[in-house]
Amino acid sequence: MNTKNPQIFMPLNCAFLSPAKSRSRNTNPRNRAAFCLTISEPPLLQTLSVFQKVQALDLEFKSLSEPIDRVKRLLHYANLLPQFDESAKILENRVMGCTAQVWLEVKMDNNGVMKFRVDSDSEITKGFCSCLIWVLDGAKFEEILTVQTDDLIEMNVGLPSRGHSRVNTWHNVLISMQKRTKDLVEERNGQTIPSLIHDITVNGSYKETQNHNAVM
Amino acid sequence: MNTMEGVVLKLPYSFRIIKPNPNRTFRTVSLASASVTVASPDPILGPGSLGHLTRPDFPILHQEVNGKRLVYLDNAATSQKPTAVIRALQKYYEAWNSNVHRGIHFLSAKATDEYELARHKVANFINASDSREIVFTRNATEAINLVAYSWGLSNLKAGDEVILSIAEHHSAIVPWQFVAQKTGAILKFVSLTDNEVPDIGKLREMLSKKTKLLVVHHVSNVLASVLPINQIVSWAHDVGAKVLVDACQSVPHMVVDVKNLDADFLVASSHKMCGPTGIGFLYGKSELLSAMPPFLGGGEMIADVFLDHSTFAEPPSRFEAGTPAIGEAIGLGAAIDYLSGIGMQNIHDYEVELANYLYDSLQSVPKIRVYGPAPSQTVDRAALCSFNVEDVHPTDLATFLDQQHSIAIRSGHHCAQPLHRYLGINASARASLHFYNTKEDVDDFIRGLKDTVSFFASYK
Repeated sequence: MNTKNPQIFMPLNCAFLSPAKSRSRNTNPRNRAAFCLTISEPPLLQTLSVFQKVQALDLEFKSLSEPIDRVKRLLHYANLLPQFDESAKILENRVMGCTAQVWLEVKMDNNGVMKFRVDSDSEITKGFCSCLIWVLDGAKFEEILTVQTDDLIEMNVGLPSRGHSRVNTWHNVLISMQKRTKDLVEERNGQTIPSLIHDITVNGSYKETQNHNAVM
Repeated sequence: MNTMEGVVLKLPYSFRIIKPNPNRTFRTVSLASASVTVASPDPILGPGSLGHLTRPDFPILHQEVNGKRLVYLDNAATSQKPTAVIRALQKYYEAWNSNVHRGIHFLSAKATDEYELARHKVANFINASDSREIVFTRNATEAINLVAYSWGLSNLKAGDEVILSIAEHHSAIVPWQFVAQKTGAILKFVSLTDNEVPDIGKLREMLSKKTKLLVVHHVSNVLASVLPINQIVSWAHDVGAKVLVDACQSVPHMVVDVKNLDADFLVASSHKMCGPTGIGFLYGKSELLSAMPPFLGGGEMIADVFLDHSTFAEPPSRFEAGTPAIGEAIGLGAAIDYLSGIGMQNIHDYEVELANYLYDSLQSVPKIRVYGPAPSQTVDRAALCSFNVEDVHPTDLATFLDQQHSIAIRSGHHCAQPLHRYLGINASARASLHFYNTKEDVDDFIRGLKDTVSFFASYK
């Protein structure tokens, strides 16, 4: 794919060109976000794998050479994020380790398809989350666990490092999505999936302190 | 039409070097002829200010980010380093690098001399009685932990009270939570006045015979408030309590005299005072340090080691286990030389003016809320402002300022979550200055901030 082909990344009818249009009542926000990524027909987009969507996002943001254009693109995608139920803004849904507040709701249907909803008090963070939702919402859990944080490095706005700092919100959100996906799968199947993320436990006086604090 | 001819400034005598520093010379210019028909430039913040004079010494400031001049306003997080400090580190590793205190060869002796000279410089800088009252640590956080684990665990028992303010940095709170859990001591927190400064009136009321320790910042990294430490220490001592002063935001910006303050413990970090990261210090009164058990165990801090027990060195070695950050300590010494060459009072006077200019300029930004007290005849603010703009998340502000305007500020809770919770906010943005910032930096920041606010308003 020619990453410099403007026809792919800036189609004439792309909603991104007109922020006002992005606030339309289109009820399929994924298709609108996807329309910015490619001029393909929506039904074709529905068949893209998680891997292909990650690649498409990677190429899209790589094509935006000016950092401010990446910011603007994220703000556009923030506008496309589906509404998040206020009642779901509870402590259990908080994604920790972010300088902005982020809430993540994770559900799995009977077919093992994952459903994600996310919200944040920061518009740029919402933009990151909107991209993650587009990639992962509706995917099977096996695909979700294959995404690496480095795969989305080009989405970094002003953060050239791969460091796991507190401001790498999308990194924290992605990890949360994957961890909670694993938890749901295990709960359903009654088995443990070995992983470094899942197997981190603490014991001893630190754990006692945390339990004490949780009770408090 | 206004014209300017030959406008140059002669620096007041106080801006000249008090102690000649071979690594630094000021360029002083004399007023020749001046036909100034424009308004007179600000005598402190105008051309030839301390900021303009010192900027050339900081190579990192002379770069572009995203095609624009870098404007670094995150000094409360870490300061930039002058060439003198960078060269000191390089010279150490090129000429003297060797382990200290034990070797008998030339390099070791030289490294030891330079390391201990740095300790003397720190002691002189804060007017400690003896260099043995200075313990080198990794940073102020480690220094506070040293006091918590060494002094705290030995001196606190169930029912004893430790008083802190809700505006303390996490590093000044969390170690005492650990100690309180282990000893049964009780932590009490002083809230803020309506002017958003720690309520020292309430603090005085909270002091009692149960109070064993007061942990308090000198300058707040969020509120920019300055506390009357010598008064607070006097009240604490009246009830027999010790005082630990977090001087991270004061030592780099003003004269700090531990004798005048009479603090029992005082901590600071090198990286906030133009020195390298990886080194900080604890000041402790001799009699207190002498009575404290070791913190970390290992080489250097021992006298004799047997299989079943060991005996320990006198302070400060008792608290400096292992090979220290030798180069970094020497770098800190070079930073102190540099700052002393300018004069801490000069730095403070300049930064007060710049702080007022920053605060006043921010008031012109629509829907802004700046935290902490307003500056006045009786209230000096530190040269930092934490703020929020209605309807725009501070993270978004900081990101846009960085990406579009190359302006570096901080967003988040600034390691002060209890304070943010008290103020009813999740996060704030913070611009923090140092003596190498200029009025133009502030002007660029305000312009960029207004543009940022407009940008996000257009997306609503």
